[in-house]
Amino acid sequence: MNMNYVRPRDLAEAFAFLAENGRDTTIIAGGTDVMVDLRSGELDTRFLLDISRLDELKGIRLEGENLVVGATTTLSDIYHSELLTQYAPALQKSAYNFASTQIRNVATIGGNVAHCSPCGDTVPPLVIHETKVVFSGKKGERRIPIEEVATGPYRCFLEKDEIITAFILKPVEADFADFQKIGRRKDLAISRLSMAVMVDRDSDGIISSMKFSLGACTPTPHRMTAVEEFMTGKKVTCELLFEGGKLLAEKMIEITGRRPSIIYKEPAVQGLFVRMLYPVV
Amino acid sequence: MNQNTVQIEFTINGKKVTTNIPSHVTALHVIREIMGLKGSKEGCGIGECGACTIQVDDKAVNSCLMLGAQLHNRDVMTIEGLSKEKKLHPLQEKFIENHAVQCGFCTPGLLMSTHAFLKENENPDRQEITRAIAGNLCRCTGYQQIITSIEAALQDESCRGGE
Amino acid sequence: MNKKYRSVGRSIRKKGGVEKVKGDPVFAGDIELDNPLVLKVKRSAYAHALIRNINTEEALKIDGVKGVFTSKDIPGVNLLGIINRDQPLLAEERVRSLADGIALVAAETEEAAQLGIDAIHVEYEKLPAVFNPVEALKDGAPKIHAKGNVLFTRAVLKGNADDGFEKAYSIIEKEYTTSAIEHNYMEPDAGAGFVDEDGCLVIYASTQNPHYDHKELVSLFALEDENVRIIQAATGGGFGSKLDLNVQGFIGLALLHLKVPVRYVYSREEAYLATAKRHPFTIKIKTATDRDGRLIATRVRAVCNTGAYGSYGIAVASRSAVHGTGPYSVENVDIEVKCVYTNQTYCGAMRGFGAPQMALAHESQMDLHAEVLGIDPLAIRLLNGLEVGSLSGTGQLLTSSVGFKDCLHAIAPYYEEAKKSWVSTCSTPFKRRGVGLGAMWYGIGNTGVQNPSTARVTMEPDGTVTVFTGCAELGQGSTTVLCQIVAEILGISPDEISMVVGDTRYTTNAGATSASRQTYISGNAVKDAAESLANVLLTEAVNRLQVPKNTLVLENGEVTTTGNPDCGIGIAVLAGRIHDKGGVLSWQGYFDPETVPLDPKTGAGVPYATYAFACQMAMVEVDTLTGEVTVEKVVAAHDVGRAIHPENVVGQICGGVAMGVGFALMEKFEQGKTESMKDYHIPTASDVPEVVAIIVESEEPTGPFGAKGVGEPALIPTAPAVINGISSALNYRIYDLPASLERVLEASIQAGHFGVQEE
Repeated sequence: MNMNYVRPRDLAEAFAFLAENGRDTTIIAGGTDVMVDLRSGELDTRFLLDISRLDELKGIRLEGENLVVGATTTLSDIYHSELLTQYAPALQKSAYNFASTQIRNVATIGGNVAHCSPCGDTVPPLVIHETKVVFSGKKGERRIPIEEVATGPYRCFLEKDEIITAFILKPVEADFADFQKIGRRKDLAISRLSMAVMVDRDSDGIISSMKFSLGACTPTPHRMTAVEEFMTGKKVTCELLFEGGKLLAEKMIEITGRRPSIIYKEPAVQGLFVRMLYPVV
Repeated sequence: MNQNTVQIEFTINGKKVTTNIPSHVTALHVIREIMGLKGSKEGCGIGECGACTIQVDDKAVNSCLMLGAQLHNRDVMTIEGLSKEKKLHPLQEKFIENHAVQCGFCTPGLLMSTHAFLKENENPDRQEITRAIAGNLCRCTGYQQIITSIEAALQDESCRGGE
Repeated sequence: MNKKYRSVGRSIRKKGGVEKVKGDPVFAGDIELDNPLVLKVKRSAYAHALIRNINTEEALKIDGVKGVFTSKDIPGVNLLGIINRDQPLLAEERVRSLADGIALVAAETEEAAQLGIDAIHVEYEKLPAVFNPVEALKDGAPKIHAKGNVLFTRAVLKGNADDGFEKAYSIIEKEYTTSAIEHNYMEPDAGAGFVDEDGCLVIYASTQNPHYDHKELVSLFALEDENVRIIQAATGGGFGSKLDLNVQGFIGLALLHLKVPVRYVYSREEAYLATAKRHPFTIKIKTATDRDGRLIATRVRAVCNTGAYGSYGIAVASRSAVHGTGPYSVENVDIEVKCVYTNQTYCGAMRGFGAPQMALAHESQMDLHAEVLGIDPLAIRLLNGLEVGSLSGTGQLLTSSVGFKDCLHAIAPYYEEAKKSWVSTCSTPFKRRGVGLGAMWYGIGNTGVQNPSTARVTMEPDGTVTVFTGCAELGQGSTTVLCQIVAEILGISPDEISMVVGDTRYTTNAGATSASRQTYISGNAVKDAAESLANVLLTEAVNRLQVPKNTLVLENGEVTTTGNPDCGIGIAVLAGRIHDKGGVLSWQGYFDPETVPLDPKTGAGVPYATYAFACQMAMVEVDTLTGEVTVEKVVAAHDVGRAIHPENVVGQICGGVAMGVGFALMEKFEQGKTESMKDYHIPTASDVPEVVAIIVESEEPTGPFGAKGVGEPALIPTAPAVINGISSALNYRIYDLPASLERVLEASIQAGHFGVQEE
């Protein structure tokens, strides 16, 4: 193993290092994905750049109209954040259900997004908050919509000289927000499917706005606008939820085609959609 | 074989240590093979079982998923740091009294998770206790006597002791 | 229980518990050795192939590689297997599965060992492979062993099943399947060793049977008994898989040739690839009852897939056939279980030896019959349950310790309450609740074969006691229980007894820690030895106290006369006197349960001297929209004869239930797909139910203080109870394990629960 470990003192140093060595470098933060790939031999890299200590990348704060979550904020910090309870409860809930305590204590939101696993639990909540992901490097920064970060499963849009530094969310105090997932067991499970939703209703109980994203079913994350449009302007009934869920399943299959796992996922996304939104009825 | 190394300074079970380690090894490797503390176990190597759980700055983490180099400047506690000299930590006593231990392979990791959890939680309910140890797999006990031990520990203030 | 005991029946602190909570026990991967070499095995690239050539030259040139060995380097018999020898340590001319080892590399580092493995060039001639046992039985199927693809067939015949079916009021015929299961003990297999000054290979192993390991190594390397010493290291669970020689043979081979310390610790991935699994079963079962629900005939045709090698396959087939009736009295029995070779990773022993698979079938059938007849599932089990005086399928008359109906009665109040109030108080319209029962019987010890245990109890002239037992402690608590038994007989505290466990230099054979046999069989062996020792102490005390021997008792470290605590003499004094006189203070104990071998054609015989019984009730909530299942609570009543250590019994029950929940809902080992613990899910703390453990004590006259066993029985009823619970929740039955998300959601849809529900 001829791997070098590099711990920059600050972000500028990290950018400078990447500008020079980006091609031979893998960024490590919490390490919970990188270490697995190192062990399996899937990852072979000359440099590991440890950004887990950079204070510039930590923290959750309101900045004007925006809710900013630093890239190396851990899932535990997300779970415990009062700001998120108020402005992004679905994201908070995705942290509650994330892996195990030990992993939540180190895994970072930036790592979860950059890994580009179709099953990343923080992604659907970020999608419904119309999150912009900040890619930064020596040359400057650019803001990429969360849906565009993954160009395919485990393929990230990030350039080799860039780091994800922050997530800029639209803070929302919705009438109802939730994240749910289904795994093969009740904890420590990779999502077989997941979804995040925010709903606002008017005084008659009619849905005035809805944001919805599906996770773990499609190669890259998607906001399901067809479902949102279908539900908006309607009063929520059990029948409507089943219809909305059915539409969701159809839209999913339009993206994925009929793979063997669809036999389960087709009814299950419908079912989970109904279960998640049933409290709104 | 030419290996890149990195120097790390950290505190382990209250003792300051400076050592050179290969850059690519895990924190678990540092603890077991370099520090010679064999209480932390490798059950899966990929963060699925929790047998390697240690505390880093008071938080439970899987040492198999942490790079050894990342221990630099950290305060680390392993199972060997839980009991003082010959005296067991009260939490360990609870595990014995309540028959929470069978084969003992998962036990050090479970105690590390539990000990960290008790520091942060005043009055957890059974579900919170269960979730706190959900990252520590045990194939022998079915967890019930472990949960009973933790509930017993909650009744005993001395179990929260920080050491 | 009328008799008062001082040690037996008390949940004392576990022997070694303090060390375990400190992380001190030395597992084989932890043993300090002087720069041990690392071992690694080159495994087959194909599931079935002939080996044309193995070239190790390149590997030997790699820096750090100290030795490369193949089957040619094995001087003795290159065949392993406790029941039938069919598995080479390293392949010779043929590989039969991806787990098969071809060459062993010893190197200074992990990296060098891996480079060595990669540099070994094997020329194969690929052969057609077969993975499905039904395919393997067909004419023209690839032949895996010279004797053919059928390893073993066990028939159990009683009465005339056809007559029974003719007279029947109700007949139900179904097919059930179960998956291969990975034991997933938390400690991956490990061993380490060195050659001592006398040239003896000393091997520390994570093992369930050190004396068997010893025998195999002696045979593999054509050594004398005294040239191999196996010491059981701390062992992190086994559940059956550590009955096989997993790393011990490789360590021995390296030691034999290199004579320097070596260590082999399987990664989890290698443990998954290379160690035994639970046999997957396909069970066709046809059962019949009369109008009242009395079982009158059972016909079973089952096939179990043993993969490339036998391991414990014969025992699995045999035991599953014997247990095919379930814990019920059935007049006409026609059971046949075939164990078939395929090119899968081999299957071996796993907690229950085929009984858990069979229990899925017989317990589902009981509920189906109850439904057809309109009677309650508990009632039909009570109606048919075994009792004293019943004849088993093998024609064995059950004469005592049949606590099955006591278990059913113990469950009854919980069952009635759950059905009455819990089922109907479901929180949302998309969840449905059900209560399911699962029952079982389980023969203690090996099936219809001798399986003795021996032990030694020694007292020093100063009165200190040491027990020497070959009984491997896996965490289940056998060392503590054996210690309690000796303490009870000698009237001393368990704390005063030293235990020497599983070291073939000092201990004698106790047989395997398997088949739930150690409390009963090794318990009797240590009891026998302790009683011999007690006898000489009492005899000596007669001389001293001048009272008849039958008035003397051993208690509190003294011999006293009953009713006169003042008149006593310390055992240390007695021991000193016996020693001075040249008397014997070290006694060997022996016990072998009385069995009669099963007739090869009819299965008639007495396979076990005693049986454990149990019934569990599972309270199950099903999410009809997603197929998620929550097992809320399990009430488990187990007839253990007597609980020597009640909390250990509870620990076994809770652990068994957890493993049973995994078997029922989530576990499935798929060769080629299941590579690491990311791919295989065992229950977490969040997945297991609350367990109410009820200990039923129907004393076994031949057991030590009435004890039988509980290790495997703990697991067996759980999966059927969960499956019956799901069926009751959905009114739709699942016949295949695991009842995964996919299968449960499909069942929910088929049963019409998926969709808008009327509240």
